[in-house]
Amino acid sequence: MSNVLRPYLAAVRSTLTAALTLEDFSSQIVERHNKPEVEVGGSKEVLLNPLTISRNENERVLIEPSINSIRLSIKIKQADEIERILCHKFTRFMMQRAESFIVLRRKPVKGYDISFLITNHHTDSMLKHKIVDFIIQFMEEVDKEISEMKLSLNARARVVAESYLSAFNS
Amino acid sequence: MDAFRKIDIDQYDEDVLPDSELFPTDPRDPSTLLTEAKQKAAAIRNNLSKGDVAGALDIVLSDPPYGPGVDEAKNLTLQTLVTILNTTKSTDIPPILKSLSQDSQDTLMKYLYKGMALPGWGDVSGSVLLGWHEKLTEVAGTGCIVRAMTDRRLV
Amino acid sequence: MILLESNNYIIQTTLAEKLTKPSSLDVQFVDFDDVRFHLSTPERKTQLVLSMSIRCWDELVRYGVHSILQREYGSMVKAQPEPEYNVSLELDLEQFPADPEARESLIQSISLLKRNVLAAPFETAFTTQKELAAAGSGQGELLALHYRDEEAIYVQASFDRVTVIFSTMFREETDRIFGKVFLQEFVDARRLPTIQSAPQVLYTTNTPPLELSHIPDLVQTEDVGYVTFILFPRHFEKQPIAESTISHIQSFRDYLHYHIKCSKAYMHSRMRHRVSEFQKVLNRAKTEVATGERKTVSGRSLVR
Repeated sequence: MSNVLRPYLAAVRSTLTAALTLEDFSSQIVERHNKPEVEVGGSKEVLLNPLTISRNENERVLIEPSINSIRLSIKIKQADEIERILCHKFTRFMMQRAESFIVLRRKPVKGYDISFLITNHHTDSMLKHKIVDFIIQFMEEVDKEISEMKLSLNARARVVAESYLSAFNS
Repeated sequence: MDAFRKIDIDQYDEDVLPDSELFPTDPRDPSTLLTEAKQKAAAIRNNLSKGDVAGALDIVLSDPPYGPGVDEAKNLTLQTLVTILNTTKSTDIPPILKSLSQDSQDTLMKYLYKGMALPGWGDVSGSVLLGWHEKLTEVAGTGCIVRAMTDRRLV
Repeated sequence: MILLESNNYIIQTTLAEKLTKPSSLDVQFVDFDDVRFHLSTPERKTQLVLSMSIRCWDELVRYGVHSILQREYGSMVKAQPEPEYNVSLELDLEQFPADPEARESLIQSISLLKRNVLAAPFETAFTTQKELAAAGSGQGELLALHYRDEEAIYVQASFDRVTVIFSTMFREETDRIFGKVFLQEFVDARRLPTIQSAPQVLYTTNTPPLELSHIPDLVQTEDVGYVTFILFPRHFEKQPIAESTISHIQSFRDYLHYHIKCSKAYMHSRMRHRVSEFQKVLNRAKTEVATGERKTVSGRSLVR
């Protein structure tokens, strides 16, 4: 797994570093307002081309840059029903705590499992390379966590079944 | 007076930038582009059979079809490019990339992203594209990615 | 604690307590599967009345619950149960045996009231199986026990086995998928050499197994699962084994759902831990706002 994972994460890292060149930009539409342009999606000239990085059909990252914000959406690998449920629960758990996560978006973009919104205010108060580190670490950890949870569920199921059925022998 | 609230006032706003001003439109028309793409494909097959990958890449990356309305030519070019990428050995990639001009490198980056946006289309293979992406970033730097993001001429 | 206990903990501790120090009492409490208990001292402090109400009483009566009650509790069974309850036991504390061991086993037996009552269809099936085995072939009647709102147990004796089918309802999709994982392990567990002699387990979701196909209005939606246990004669031939088999198999549904809930709670605590880890990493990204002290050359600090 890791021989394809490494270039995948490296590609995400370099694309993200390139995209995180954000500067303050007041809204052109409403006076004295400052909104993340990628969410407003109003004027074409402040939006840049969205880029996709994909390992295969089930794992993708979509980066939509703009002048003062970027939106990063991740589709996590979910091979079977259990992983689908675990991933769904986990992302829902995180999105409910989006306030404390600052860069997390409360709803994922359609077609993806989880989305981040990083604005120029965030890059002003946080170190850019550390934000990138966080995102990359997040991607690695989520995959690991889901497979660990699945393993522990299977192990528990085995123990439960064995203890029940062996009690019939005694 | 009857047209009150029925006119789209924004279209008359001088400050709004219409699509056509965002980038220069390709002067060539769709059918020319398509013939060009086919010619390039033939030339590339030739090069590949001779083993000249750098030359093949040069041909496909120069003057790519871009803009709206020329989907057939774009798809054909993408398909040809993907064939080249799939057939190259990973050890041969760095010198080939170094020999490309900066414009060609930017165009290649654009194609890589386009290919990744369509996993499972044609012969697109995620791992091949990712390998090329990594090596191209090493050679051309992050600036190449920025140019792929900002250049409006979508291949 | 992985396996659920069959006896009712509250009955056990309350009786033990009252034996040492009788006092007046009126408690109502519940057990698994919508069973309600009422323990009170209506007349004297030393006379307790324990009543139980269970949903499927009528079916149990059909399967011979009265004879079981007679056998286990004899004279303690009141002729007329308390209103709104199905069965009442009269316990005279003064008549309890003095010997501590005998006392313990009597308390234990009383706290197994629910288990004993629910054993009725199983014991009937076991007896039927022995009869059929002697005859050499044939199938007994399908005994249905609707012990919960939308779930039921079906017991059927054949000449060489007794089949017990549980229909259980999974309300949430998560429960359903976790349940599938667990039940798949039940089916596969037999390949282990130590439990090769355990009953065979099969399960289906949505469609009921063949033995139930003739029953009308069976629930057939996505959320229902049918689990079949095949008990072979070795599981109930000898008396102590038969008893433990019955106790064990009664609590299957509760056991399964208890462990599904435990897994969900475990997943939750893992996720909470992982989320706090992420937050720590994110906090590392924040720059420290420079509010350090400023000192002059001679060493005196500047107050901002």
